Amino acid sequence: MNPFDIKNALLAKHAQHVVLIHFPIALFIIGVLFDFIAQWTRQGRMAVAAYYNLFVAALATVPAVITGILAWQFALDGQRLKGILLLHLVMGCASTVLIWIVWLIHWKTQREQGAESPTYRLPIEVVAVAIVALTGHLGGFLTGVNIPS
Amino acid sequence: MRPYMLRTALFAGLLVALPFTPARPGGSLARAAEEQPAAVSVNIDNFVFTPKEITVAKGTTVTWVNHDDVPHTVVNPDKKFKSKALDTDDKFSFTFTDSGTYAYFCSIHPMMTGKVIVK
Repeated sequence: MNPFDIKNALLAKHAQHVVLIHFPIALFIIGVLFDFIAQWTRQGRMAVAAYYNLFVAALATVPAVITGILAWQFALDGQRLKGILLLHLVMGCASTVLIWIVWLIHWKTQREQGAESPTYRLPIEVVAVAIVALTGHLGGFLTGVNIPS
Repeated sequence: MRPYMLRTALFAGLLVALPFTPARPGGSLARAAEEQPAAVSVNIDNFVFTPKEITVAKGTTVTWVNHDDVPHTVVNPDKKFKSKALDTDDKFSFTFTDSGTYAYFCSIHPMMTGKVIVK
């Protein structure tokens, strides 16, 4: 395919997931990083930055999940998955749930004026980042980005 | 009739009848092997179909074997054949009964393409 063929590139049925998935991953990891810095340095601004990053990350999971399921339908006719594909699907769902849980914890804190974020969120965020990273690694493995050229 | 004459007559009869024997097991097997189209294998290694292009006779069964750790599929854009996701060492076979050129690709990794030419 010609890389400048915009129409074909945008309409490639299975390919949107591979592009869109980078947004929730990046936003979530940087959001967690900001949150840890906010916790450590006690900077309110950093906590706000973390909140908005986590919010947009949670929103970005919606198109990522939808396009992932569509890719499964388009590329594999929705056949029963096994192996790496199944693991990627399960871990992708787990990642999405964890991203939303983390954001909901922050959202609840934001609603209560002057309240401090609960510290139990931190281990949840660490686990979530680990699962997101592992899911992303599996996704990268599936796309073949690691193959020797 | 003396025994040696009987044996000679039987042997002579056998020699005469031999060329007209309708079924010779060894011969028919050899012919069948000649007529049977060879099965051809295409390997999937490092995200490449190898060989990328093959030419086969009508009736040949082509088998794709995935040697990668990553799942792949074998899909004809004209929907003549389509495999499930093949895990490591999984196989997919298709018998080409009509002549023509059959392009195929991996639906998970569309940059992986190949071609079967049936003559």
